[in-house]
Amino acid sequence: MLNHFTYFKPQTESELLEKVKSYGDDTKILAGGTDLLIYMKQGITAPKVLIDVKGISEYSKIVTASDGSISIGASVTCNEVIENECINKHFPVLVEAAKTLGSYQLRNRATVIGNICNASPAADMAGPLLVLGALVIIGNDSGGREILLKDFFIGFKKNILKVDEFVKAIKVPAYFRDAKSGYLKSSRIKGHDLGICNVAMCRVNGTLKVAVGSCAVTPVLLPDFESDRAGTKFVIEAAMNNINPISDIRSSKEYRKHMVKVFIKRLLEKGNSH
Amino acid sequence: MLEFLHDDLAILSVKEGCGEGECGACTVMLDNKPVNSCLILAVEADGTSIRTVEGEVKDGKLSPLQESFKKNHATQCGFCTPGMIMSAQSLLERNPKPNEEEIKEAIEGNFCRCTGYRQIIDAIFEVTKNAK
Repeated sequence: MLNHFTYFKPQTESELLEKVKSYGDDTKILAGGTDLLIYMKQGITAPKVLIDVKGISEYSKIVTASDGSISIGASVTCNEVIENECINKHFPVLVEAAKTLGSYQLRNRATVIGNICNASPAADMAGPLLVLGALVIIGNDSGGREILLKDFFIGFKKNILKVDEFVKAIKVPAYFRDAKSGYLKSSRIKGHDLGICNVAMCRVNGTLKVAVGSCAVTPVLLPDFESDRAGTKFVIEAAMNNINPISDIRSSKEYRKHMVKVFIKRLLEKGNSH
Repeated sequence: MLEFLHDDLAILSVKEGCGEGECGACTVMLDNKPVNSCLILAVEADGTSIRTVEGEVKDGKLSPLQESFKKNHATQCGFCTPGMIMSAQSLLERNPKPNEEEIKEAIEGNFCRCTGYRQIIDAIFEVTKNAK
């Protein structure tokens, strides 16, 4: 059973700002609801106010700017990313990862921004967005701010947002357009399941970027590598120094470490053969 | 929304399995897209159109997909069937000629604990043979 709450569906950003400001602490932002409603049903959270952002039309858009960067709005679903022509062509790693998130009907609701805000170490969209240098566009009463996604995650399912803030969009800079990239994920079954671990990788202008998921309290972006020095051994060593996996119902920590090594090797081989 | 459809509107095909978006027994189409109705508030559906398996029967006749489920013994206990039909029907509307892998992907969010899926995949596949 769900607790009693008040539901708002603002139609404009200024209306959203006003609601967030007046209700503060007791408020949750509702986008796809595929995490939030589970938490509410389980009693993990019991917000007094839900603010649905799906009424704000600009939040439902994927926008390509004139410089080639893309911006994904707060209510854009994973299936909308998978079907987007520009993302398929220029940022395909986002499509690769989105396809592994949940099931088809879940992806019709689950949003990219929700996946990021939930800040799970297993978040499928986190790794690819981290290696693509994504920027989180935050809305607040003082004109908003932008921060790098790598600074957004601050703990297990914790993000940097203040009570009166929300995420409007996530932006991938043009610099990463057409970068060679890849995403690999291990899970217990072939169908939908939270991952055991995942690795995202991208090469851009002589730099190699690698992110590892489900192996620490947050998704982890490794320090950049100079591409010509980044041998398999070197990258694996850096990964091992930056992750700290646990054993749980899905996998032992040893297996997680092993699969991270395998995925790094496979992604490097794939990248080098192009 | 699941509770509202099942308990208040007596649309009994919409079933609660897990209530957490894993099993797909509550799958309905919201504006023609399959979704887990257990993870949607009824109020969020305001102004949308909802399709359940009840609506697949036209003038007392089963849809080709429903006929095929019947013919191929794709239903055993029947609990997953309404959700399974909605996911499969949506696939056929997006892609009238899916291959087996695409069929499996489309129903990966619908658990069936009786059939082992073979008969369900066969039933969906048979409909595609008559598709243009």
